[in-house]
Amino acid sequence: MPKCEKCTFFFPIPEKDMDFEPGKGDCVEQQQDTKGKFWLSKPVSENSEACQRYRPRN
Amino acid sequence: MPTTERTARLKNRCRFKHVAGGEYVDPGVKAGVERARLITQAHKENIGEPTSIIRAKGLENILKKITIHIQDDELIVGANTEHPDYFPMYPELSYFSTMDMVESHYCDHKEEMAEIAEYWKPYTIQRKAEKYFTPEEIGIMYSATTVQPPMFVTAFSSIVPNYESVIEDGLLKRIEVVEQKIADAEEEIRKSPWNAPEKLHYLDKIDQWQAMLIAMKAVVGWAQRHARLAKIIAENFLTDPKRKEELLEISDICRHVPAYPARGLKDAMQSKWFTFLLCHSIERYSSGYGHKEDKLLWPFYKKSVIEKNEQPMTREEAVELFECERLKVSEHGSTKGRQLREFFAGSNDLFILTLGGINPDGSDASNDCTNAILEAAENIVTTEPSIAFRWNEKGNVETKKRVFNCIKKGFGFPSIKNDELNTQQLIKYFNVPEEIARDWALVLCMSPGITGRRGTQKTRSEGGSDVYPAKVMEIALTNGFDEFFTNMQLGPETGNAEEFTSFDQVWEAVKLQLRYAIELSLRSKDVGRIMESRYLCCPFISSIDDGCVEKGLDGNELAEVANPWHNIIGGSVVVVDSMAAIKKLVFDEKKYSMKELMDALRNNWEGKEEMRLDFWNAPKFGNDDPYADEIATKYYDLIADEWKRNTTYSGTFPLPLAQSVAGYIVNGPKTNATANGRHAGEALDDGGISPYMGCDKNGPTAVLKSVSKINGSKHKGILLNQRLSTVLMNSDAGFDLWHAYMKTWHGLGIDHVQFNVISSEEMKAAQIEPEKHTDTLVRIAGYSAKFIDLARYSQDTIIARTEQDLAAG
Ligand code: SF4
Repeated sequence: MPKCEKCTFFFPIPEKDMDFEPGKGDCVEQQQDTKGKFWLSKPVSENSEACQRYRPRN
Repeated sequence: MPTTERTARLKNRCRFKHVAGGEYVDPGVKAGVERARLITQAHKENIGEPTSIIRAKGLENILKKITIHIQDDELIVGANTEHPDYFPMYPELSYFSTMDMVESHYCDHKEEMAEIAEYWKPYTIQRKAEKYFTPEEIGIMYSATTVQPPMFVTAFSSIVPNYESVIEDGLLKRIEVVEQKIADAEEEIRKSPWNAPEKLHYLDKIDQWQAMLIAMKAVVGWAQRHARLAKIIAENFLTDPKRKEELLEISDICRHVPAYPARGLKDAMQSKWFTFLLCHSIERYSSGYGHKEDKLLWPFYKKSVIEKNEQPMTREEAVELFECERLKVSEHGSTKGRQLREFFAGSNDLFILTLGGINPDGSDASNDCTNAILEAAENIVTTEPSIAFRWNEKGNVETKKRVFNCIKKGFGFPSIKNDELNTQQLIKYFNVPEEIARDWALVLCMSPGITGRRGTQKTRSEGGSDVYPAKVMEIALTNGFDEFFTNMQLGPETGNAEEFTSFDQVWEAVKLQLRYAIELSLRSKDVGRIMESRYLCCPFISSIDDGCVEKGLDGNELAEVANPWHNIIGGSVVVVDSMAAIKKLVFDEKKYSMKELMDALRNNWEGKEEMRLDFWNAPKFGNDDPYADEIATKYYDLIADEWKRNTTYSGTFPLPLAQSVAGYIVNGPKTNATANGRHAGEALDDGGISPYMGCDKNGPTAVLKSVSKINGSKHKGILLNQRLSTVLMNSDAGFDLWHAYMKTWHGLGIDHVQFNVISSEEMKAAQIEPEKHTDTLVRIAGYSAKFIDLARYSQDTIIARTEQDLAAG
């Protein structure tokens, strides 16, 4: 199974940030509804199993 | 018209979260579950730790893990939930409020939320506080008839955050200060010789300071999450170079604030917004938008807009930013149980900011930032946030003209408060030094409180319990028993009115019923306050108050500047007019007996229309009629005296505040026919001292003269609604006439006034074709609402208000 680590939407947290933890990253998702576009970010671990939205990084 | 294409787009797609008829108007609005889930998870993991630490770790868990979001076009970022359509839930506050949401169609996670609510049941403020009341007292309070249900059930609170300390210091500097406090305390308790009475108190303080550190660090991390998201969007999801640049600037701002002091207006606005979210809706729920915005932002406005040496921007860009702020507030979701959703008919929450007045040195505080904020309000046309303007003799005419422009457009705001009267009140009753008192802002709708770096109100036990006077008077005539709505004994047995042989007996019964209601509601507030300081510590809110940091105390516990007031909601003038009618027709003229009156009231005047008209035509408050006004004076003095008998948590007596929110609409149906000639179920008077609808027949000056006979200095505020002619306000002489009226109002020493400027024709047209009147705003009481979002019953009460002709004098 692929892991978040390899997903296009996974962005590792820089070490200098307050919420840095090894292997932790931001999972960022673009959504759009009748009121417009917005982007969501939630923390995930690079070792988490990928979800259905997984898109491998080039 | 919105100033820019961006704000036009943002308004067009705004995710408004106001309610109507007790429900959210936008069908997309949902209850978010993440905050509740994350605070519960942290609570389970940290049981056994001191409460302050548990609470800090709860906040930390939320800020680290909650889904954050940024919407297209936004210049100010950050929200209180995981999705822009949601509002958060607070299972730690009230079991009833949480279950009310769980059982509603707003909650999509019913099973999980029911489990969370059950988990919290023994820990809620509700469970902790209820046991200090008898079942009878609980029944009375929960019936919401003579008093508002207590805060430990409604979960309703309000706060004035110490924005200044965040914007001026930045959190990293405050973290250093708190770390030093801990280091000093550690050293102190190790000094020789050991002295327990002098040293042991440091243990609790160290816990409080540790909790503050956890909270502040978590907040900086949460802002950095927004900084990362903005940068990720710019670099990975967008091609438009202009928006990319904006997002990179937003990213820079969120990296800078609230960690560091604000550099310019953009930083200050973002830092303020983050602080607002945390204090009002993430650490706990608290209503309001209490701050003196033009004072708070003026130094940054000067740097960015006038001197252009930090975050330079044009004036138009500043106005656009204030428009963005208004839209951000409009889509900020607040959760409320059904009773409060009904009480705030047409609004989202009570968001009220304050402008104007004077500076600490006595100079005019209205500046170009004041004007830009008013211009933004005029352009974007949203009901929220409402604005209160401090009317001071020294205030410049240009700003007053902008105030007039908003009013004449029918927004219902700014509402006007008498600056000198309200400043003096803080000095006289609450010992606030004059320079600090001069920086006051409204805490919520009507009550002045200090702003600044310390001593601001942190929780609503300082103010805002509600007593409902019309219902109190009703049961004063029926031996304390509610025959009309609950069939319950709601107050002490003070006799049946049929047996009263003098007006003094009527007065005494009302006084004793009022006394019972006042004391019950004050006690419930103060018991709630104790439970808040024991179980609902707010480490972040405390960390930004210099006093809490200095003393190592939680903001719920510390009452550094006492500011207690409590509300008398909708119905005061019904009581005054009813008393006047009883005195005149029963005891002076002896035209009717008390028995005849009670029979007529019990039968809702059925078959007694002639008699009802006699009572309806008896002297009415608001006509400069000495007969009614004398009773009004006595009534408002009685209220002040009755509140003054008590001492609240903060060690002094509270002042009363007569106003109504939408209580005059909600409580009308619970109140039987009244002796002013009103039918059972009809609305009550719509302010705190507004003449009853249609009863002020002698023009606007007569209203002011009646109101001026009340000693306003004994009250925290007294709300006066006036409806003015649209034709006149929009005429060439409009400003001059209104300005002359305002000078009369000010000269008479009246506390407050607010205006509806809308014709009956327009309101009736909006009832027929609501889709054509989406921007028609009206003033309810402490807030404004879209006319089309009000229930027909509420709309009709506004149409029924007397339209005053300023030219008639
Ligand atoms: S959770 Fe899904 S979308 Fe997010 S990083 Fe992992 S695989 Fe990608």
